[in-house]
Amino acid sequence: MDFTLTKKEEAFRDELRSWLSVNLPEGWLEGKRTLPESKEAYSRFLRDWQRKLYEGGWAAISWPEAYGGRNATLMEEIIYHQEMVRVKSPPLVNYVGIHMVAPTLMQMGTDQQKEAYIENILTGNHVWSQGYSEPNAGSDLTAIETAAVKKDGRWIINGQKVWTSFAHLADRCFLLARTGQSGKKHEGITVFLLDMNQEGVETRPITQMDGREEFNEVYLTDAIAHDEDIVGEEGKGWSVLIALMLHERSGIAAEVFTLEQQFEEVAEMARTLTSDGKPIIEDPFIEDGLADLYARISGARLNYYRNITHTLKNGKPGPESSLDKLLVSELGKELFDFAMTIQGHAGVLAGGDAPFDGAMQHQYLASFGATIGGGTSEVQRNTIGERILGLPKDLGR
Amino acid sequence: MDFSLNEEQELFRSAVRKYLKDLGGTGTARATIRGDDEPARAAASGLAEMGINAIPVPEQQDGLGLGALDLVPVFEETGRVLLPGLQLETLALAVPLITNYGTEEQKKRWLPLAASGESAFSVAWYETGRSLFPETFACTATRIDNRYELSGVKTLVPVTGSPDLFIVGAEAPGGTSLFLVEASEAASVRPLSCLDETQLPAELSFRNAHAELLGEPGKGQDMLREALLHFNTALVSGMVGGMDELVKITAEYAKIRVQFNQPIGRFQAIKHRIVDMKLDLETARSLSHYAAWAVETGADDRIAAVHSARSFASRAYIKAAGDSIQIHGGIGFTEELDCHLYLKRARYWDHYFGSVRDSRKAAAGSLGWHARQTADAAPVS
Repeated sequence: MDFTLTKKEEAFRDELRSWLSVNLPEGWLEGKRTLPESKEAYSRFLRDWQRKLYEGGWAAISWPEAYGGRNATLMEEIIYHQEMVRVKSPPLVNYVGIHMVAPTLMQMGTDQQKEAYIENILTGNHVWSQGYSEPNAGSDLTAIETAAVKKDGRWIINGQKVWTSFAHLADRCFLLARTGQSGKKHEGITVFLLDMNQEGVETRPITQMDGREEFNEVYLTDAIAHDEDIVGEEGKGWSVLIALMLHERSGIAAEVFTLEQQFEEVAEMARTLTSDGKPIIEDPFIEDGLADLYARISGARLNYYRNITHTLKNGKPGPESSLDKLLVSELGKELFDFAMTIQGHAGVLAGGDAPFDGAMQHQYLASFGATIGGGTSEVQRNTIGERILGLPKDLGR
Repeated sequence: MDFSLNEEQELFRSAVRKYLKDLGGTGTARATIRGDDEPARAAASGLAEMGINAIPVPEQQDGLGLGALDLVPVFEETGRVLLPGLQLETLALAVPLITNYGTEEQKKRWLPLAASGESAFSVAWYETGRSLFPETFACTATRIDNRYELSGVKTLVPVTGSPDLFIVGAEAPGGTSLFLVEASEAASVRPLSCLDETQLPAELSFRNAHAELLGEPGKGQDMLREALLHFNTALVSGMVGGMDELVKITAEYAKIRVQFNQPIGRFQAIKHRIVDMKLDLETARSLSHYAAWAVETGADDRIAAVHSARSFASRAYIKAAGDSIQIHGGIGFTEELDCHLYLKRARYWDHYFGSVRDSRKAAAGSLGWHARQTADAAPVS
């Protein structure tokens, strides 16, 4: 057992740290972290940040050097996430492009696709969104109804996508559409690289329960794609999705470190907030609950370390790594539920009137999304039950 | 980054697991419940022959001088079959106490006996109506020339496995202190009925028993707190072993039990409950392995690490045992199945040498959450 970093890993961390200290937006490290309000300014801000990362060689560290990456080791990737969480870096606007689309194209894209997209993903010229979910296809993705029909050598696409993150800022969409109805429900699905800057694509932001507008509805009305926009083979999109998932090797590093940081903030609140002149941590109920969360959040981090160890030794993640997402997202909900409770009657307030400027209130509301997005907790439990424990599959799947 | 037990530790685990399985798994525990101690005694000497008793004993005293991590696989496997005996008390509490605080003579006298498995040790600490760390004990030790005489009544002293030596907490000039008292010095041993019938706690009374001071007078609580870090680490390994077995037998049952024309494991109400058991198991395992690492290396956060592991695993073990009974349905409520044995063991350990609340308090204190108070606070564990 060994938790220390190697000299090379330390050097990597120090290099990133010093780069961040110079290149983060002005005042960011000191806590001035407000993002612009208007869509245009917000988009520009995030694209500028991605451009800066690219210029510094920090946009896609896990990519091969030939594509402009650093060929980073798994540990370097984890350190990268840890440092980005530590400085609360601005979101990576092209997350989908860098972590999903480009690695998939590197593996199975045509030369033309690689040429057209990979560099533009890296520089942030093309921001990507992911067109998976639909109103009638949530947890059951095979139920998608968006259809692509070939006519006069072009694909005409009609349908509706939903919960599409960053679609309002995106130039391209990694789109799932049905191209055939025969056979099993996993068959006849095709992945298209869709240009979003066209008449047949309309994006409407959805206001979330926490007031933000991070995801969207996307309406496709006779949107057009071409044969050269298909990833892999026509009708074999499901295997593209599987391949894409296998690229995931650092798992949910960012979420693990974020949860840890959030815990520290809640602990700080418990030591700082006072009731009748005493820090609320002196209340045994609060001390007890916080110690319980400390144990469970430490446990989640350590589970993650155990799973990374498995990946480092075996070259790929073991089945147990599928526990991480479920555990971390559920713990986030419990942490902020607790953070609300311990505020006492001040917990009803929000924004600047609430303790800590309403940071806990905001994160409390946001935490409800984490157990739904990226596969609901229920779907995660099915997967774990079937893949790890070998329990029989649900009927209907 | 390497967060895993090493190959030797895993190999050793396989050997211990196979040995205990060949002895009949929980059959050994069931024999103890029937009043037949022989299988547990045989298992104890078999394990000693495999070298488990030598693990924590220093090399100078015929041991292997290994650390807390090497005990992890051992206690996971003894916990899996609910093995009755004093391995935990001897190897993870008495041996660390004697090793860290004993005189050369005491070490020479007792540690080789522990390493070979010839002797088992127990700890006589609790008194009726007093907390784990009371202001004072009623049991007293009086100094007469160069020796001590100890008198009083201790309760909840584990005696299954016939200990030869008790480490006893008593009031002495200077405060609460620890003493070595040979088993033959006890005036009476009254076995107590126990919810977990694989355990045999007893009430011990001493009248002017010959006692040897262990460590400095007045430091009894500090020494015990420190040694409990070793003890809790091993205890949590035992909990993890039990939980691992519970997840296994429960998932297996859900695959073969058919109702409504299908295995019940297909129903999400069942499936998700077993998955939650599995989540808790893996979290407990991670916390447990880290605690062992922290104790072995003397890490800064070892107190928080150990007590987080204990408080989490303790509750999770009880819950897993309860869920396993529920998922087994009617048969789960019978004596015939092992589920209730795990529940009773989980309960016993939950109350044993501390509680979830004690552990959470200790973790909070060590993490400096009460910064205003730590300046003149006593060392915590």
